[in-house]
Amino acid sequence: MALLEIKNLNITYKTDKKEIKAVKDFSLDVEAKDSIGIVGESGSGKSTLAMGILKLLPKETTKITGKILFNGVDLLKLSEEKLRNLRWRDISVVFQKSMNSLSPVHKIGFQMEDIYRVHEPNVSDEEVRKRILELFKFVNLSDRVYTLYPHELSGGMMQRVSIALSLIHYPKLLILDEATTALDVVTQGQILDEIMKLEEGLDLTRMMITHDISVVASSCKKVVVMYGGCLLESGYVQDVLINPKHPYTQGLLDSFPALTGEKKNLRGIPGSIPDLSLEYKSCIFANRCKKARDICFKKVPETKILPNEWNVACHLLGGF
Amino acid sequence: MKKYIWKKIFTGILTIIFSFCFTFFLIRCAPGNPIKILAGTDNPNPELIEHLTIKYGLDKPVSVQFINYLKNILKGDFGYSYISNESVTKLIKERIFPTILLTLTSSILSLVLGTFFGVYAARKVGTCMDKFMCGLSYIIDATPGFWLGMILILIFSSTFNILPTSGMYDIREDYKGAYHVLDVIKHMILPCITLCIIQIPLYFRIARSSVLHIISEDFVLTFRATGMKEDRIFNKYVLRNAIIPTITMFSLSLAFTISGVALIEIVFAWPGMGRLIMDAIKNRDYPLLTGIYLMISISICIVMIITDIVYALIDPRIRYE
Repeated sequence: MALLEIKNLNITYKTDKKEIKAVKDFSLDVEAKDSIGIVGESGSGKSTLAMGILKLLPKETTKITGKILFNGVDLLKLSEEKLRNLRWRDISVVFQKSMNSLSPVHKIGFQMEDIYRVHEPNVSDEEVRKRILELFKFVNLSDRVYTLYPHELSGGMMQRVSIALSLIHYPKLLILDEATTALDVVTQGQILDEIMKLEEGLDLTRMMITHDISVVASSCKKVVVMYGGCLLESGYVQDVLINPKHPYTQGLLDSFPALTGEKKNLRGIPGSIPDLSLEYKSCIFANRCKKARDICFKKVPETKILPNEWNVACHLLGGF
Repeated sequence: MKKYIWKKIFTGILTIIFSFCFTFFLIRCAPGNPIKILAGTDNPNPELIEHLTIKYGLDKPVSVQFINYLKNILKGDFGYSYISNESVTKLIKERIFPTILLTLTSSILSLVLGTFFGVYAARKVGTCMDKFMCGLSYIIDATPGFWLGMILILIFSSTFNILPTSGMYDIREDYKGAYHVLDVIKHMILPCITLCIIQIPLYFRIARSSVLHIISEDFVLTFRATGMKEDRIFNKYVLRNAIIPTITMFSLSLAFTISGVALIEIVFAWPGMGRLIMDAIKNRDYPLLTGIYLMISISICIVMIITDIVYALIDPRIRYE
C-alpha cells in the first residue's frame, strides 16, 4: 500500500459568480520514502493540491471530492479532532513565504516549543529545548536563533527555521510548497542538499511543489507535471525529464536553459493558462499545443500507463 | 529598549516645547482682545483700557511677552487669569483631576469593550450578528455626543430618577471616604457611558478589521497545519498581533478626547477643564489658555510615551526603529 494515495481528487473554489476547478480528476500514488516533485506553471493547481492534502483550504469556499488516503485512512472523511492529531505528526509542510510563516511578535524558540507541545503536551522544558536545538544543528542554524524574532533572520535562515519546524515530530510525509523558490540559487542549493542529507537518516517521504524543473531534477526521484489542475505526465525523473512524452512537458523543458551542450534558443510555450471556470471536453492543453490534432479538441485524453510507472495523458501517444 | 525609551522621552519633550511656543503665538494671533472684553462693550473707558494693557504687559511686542512668560514659568509662576484674577496653577489644579478621571476611565473602558466587541464580530464574520454590530457602529458614529448625553439624562435622571443629572458629587451631602468614592462613581456613570458609546465604534472597527487581517496571515496557516486548536491559535497568537493597531488608536484618540471632552463636561456640568477652556477661549484669557494648553500637551505626551513603551513591549519590531 502506498503511503499516500490520491484518487480522482477534484478541488473547486466557489465564488459568487462562478466555480473554479483548480484540481481536476487527479490521481497519484506516493510510496513511502519517495521524493516526488510536482511541477507546473502558476495557476496549475499545485499549491491547491498541497493545501487539499492538508485540508487547509477554507471550508466555506471550496468543494473537495474524491479520496486522499494516507496509510489507508481517507483524510477527507476524518473528523476535525482526528485530523488535528495527524497534522504535523504525520504530514507537515514548509510554506513558500517562510518570512511570514511564524508570528512576528513572538520569539522563534517560544513558537517552536508551543508547536512541539501540540502533540507532546507533557514533555519537560529541557526536552523540548534539546529537540529544537538538535533540529537547529540539523539545518545549520546557531543556537542563538532560539531567542530571536522572525524579523531578525534572513530569508534563507527563516527557511531553515521552517524546515527545522516541519521536522519537529519526525513526520512521515513532508510537503515543501515552493519552499526554495524565494531564495537565491546558492542558498537554494545549500538547502536542497541539506534536505536530501536529512532524508537519509529519517523515514521521510517528500513531496516538492515547485515551478522550477531544475529543483526537481536535482533533488527528486519522481516528477508529476500539472497543467490547469490536471496531471499530464508523471514518472521517474530520469524518464520524464530526459525523454518527455507529453508536448507540455517538452515545452516546459524547452523553456529552461541548459547548462551544458549547444546554445539553443529558449522557446517557451505561447499562450497562457486556461480559464479554469470553464468545462473542458477536450485536452486542456490542446489550444496551446503545437502538435494538436482534431481528436485533441474533441475528447479528454485518457491517462496511458507506460512501463516503469510512467503515466502520460495525451492522445498523441502511440500511433500519431 | 532603554535607548528607545530615552528617544521617546526626548521627542516628547521636544513636542511639548514646540506645541507650547506654537499655541502661545497662535492664541495671540487670533482676533479679539482680552482687555476690550474686560472693559465691556457698553461704555469702554480708554484710560482703563490703556491702564490694563500696560498692567498685563500687552503693550509690548509678542516676542517680549513670550520671553517674559518664559522667565516666569521657569520660576513656577504661570500668571493670573485676566478674568477671575486667580492663579492659573490653582485654577488648573482644581479642574484637571476630574477631566483626567473622566477621560482615562472612559477611554480605557471603550478600549476594552470596543476591542472585545470587535474581536467577537471578527470571529463571527459574515453572520447576522456581525452585520448588525457593524451597522450599529456606523449609526452610533453619526450620533452627536452632547445629544446622546442629554437623551441619557432624560431617560435615567428625569424619567427613572436613578442617576444624578449633573456634577461630580452631591453638594448637599458631605460624604467621606468610601461613600465619597461611591458618590463620585454614581455621578460619573452617565458622562462615562456617553463617552464610551461615542468611542466604542472606533475601537470596534479597528479591532474587527485588525483581527480579520491577522487571521488571513500566513503564520496562522502554519499554526493550523501543526494541528494547534483554533482557540489556542487565536488567543495566543492572533490577539497579540491584532491588538497593535488598537493601541496606536488609543494614544491618538486619547489626545482627541482630552480636548474634545469639553462638550460632554458642559452637558453634565462636570467640574473639569471643559468649561474652563471654553470660557478662557471666549474671553481671550491668555495666561489661562497658555497654561491649559501646556498642561494638555504635557499630559498627552506622557500618555503617548507610555503607549509607545507598551507598543514596543508587544511588538519587538518597533524597538529597532
